[in-house]
Amino acid sequence: MLKKFLKWAGLFFLAFILQTTLAPAISIYGIKPDLLMLVLFILAIKTGMMPAIYVGFFLGLAQDLYSPSILGQNALSKTIAGFFAGLFNEKLVRIDPIFQAVLLLLMFLLNDLVFLVVQMVKTGGSMQVITMQVLTATLPRSFYSLLLGMAPFLWENYVQAAVKR
Amino acid sequence: MHWIVEFVVKHRSSCSFLVTIVLSLWMISGPPEFQARASRFLTLTVFYPFQVTFNNLTHIRNIFSENRHLRQEVARLNTEVSRLLELKSENERLRGLLDLSQDFTYELLPVRVVARDPSIENKSVIINAGYKDGVRMWMPLVGEKGVVGKVIQVMNGLSLVQLIKDPSNRISILSSRSRTVSILETENGRSFFFRCRNHEDVQIGDTIITSGLGGIYPKGLRVGQVDRITDSQNPLFKRVWVELSVDFDRIEDLFVLLLSPQWQSFREELDSLEMQR
Repeated sequence: MLKKFLKWAGLFFLAFILQTTLAPAISIYGIKPDLLMLVLFILAIKTGMMPAIYVGFFLGLAQDLYSPSILGQNALSKTIAGFFAGLFNEKLVRIDPIFQAVLLLLMFLLNDLVFLVVQMVKTGGSMQVITMQVLTATLPRSFYSLLLGMAPFLWENYVQAAVKR
Repeated sequence: MHWIVEFVVKHRSSCSFLVTIVLSLWMISGPPEFQARASRFLTLTVFYPFQVTFNNLTHIRNIFSENRHLRQEVARLNTEVSRLLELKSENERLRGLLDLSQDFTYELLPVRVVARDPSIENKSVIINAGYKDGVRMWMPLVGEKGVVGKVIQVMNGLSLVQLIKDPSNRISILSSRSRTVSILETENGRSFFFRCRNHEDVQIGDTIITSGLGGIYPKGLRVGQVDRITDSQNPLFKRVWVELSVDFDRIEDLFVLLLSPQWQSFREELDSLEMQR
């Protein structure tokens, strides 16, 4: 149990370091991959819903504290995203890489939608702003993260499988 | 009570989700003051270890960039220091020259050494002033520490200066204390001496100046000081070794004394007599 906890803690720590150091360096037109969301997605499908909910909640809360946003905004969006991804725990559902990619994309969209809706409610934004935000920020970030995130899945499902065969 | 615990354990995922959602909504719905207070509380309690780690990480990252920046800064400052040291040295040199120019009543022309005699003896230098600047043959040159030499060739914008270290350039000198007059000589351009009678009162440390008798150098220009006294081949004389004031390896800024040789008027007189004849 402790070993598992340390493994995930180490992975998040690594993702955190990479997010603060590597992500700005590999950004394209200001679009950075969200490595923490990727790790949250992996955690969700590997370990299930409950760890994903708590990790999502605390990750979001940390983001709320260290970024000028409404307290609880990221916590709520990441909790929901973690819950959503946790529904597809690989112990319960067998999913192929394409479906995983779709899930990851949906998880990003869900996270950003919740975030933007909270923002709209609290600060009085419009649907037009949310749409623009989704089109100009969420989708490029999701695809970029997806590109990076799918690499381990493709490696595991295709390359390693091919080597085994 | 038991059934509640059982329900929570059975539906722990859903309960966890519900609790976190409620907590999030509670934080979101709070007024800004509450949010600020909650943020402060969470930062100082739950997230404190993470904050410390994050700060250390940021600090480490900053150290790398700071190190790189400081290296660049060190390189830039080194260049700046070298430049300022050069300016300081030039400033000191020019200050010395300025003091010197205030001591003299002669008209002085500031010049700069632009070339040196490439031979080891380094017997002459070229200065950046010539005929158009008023420089004429035989004009003496002084540095901040004393007499340097005389002009032996004048071009339009440049002049050739024979240094006093040239063995063929002998100057009439005077011991400022004992008033002993002699001729400064050198055999190799490094050691300088003059001969004087054994009974002359010359001591180590005496200041040697130009006597003004040679006709080129005016009286009173510092030449050096007595370094040691040895016997001469002639038992009636002793040899007095002089350490020159000027370091000829480091002469850069000099003054030309705009003086005609004292014998110039005689020469002109003789020339006119020859013309009449």
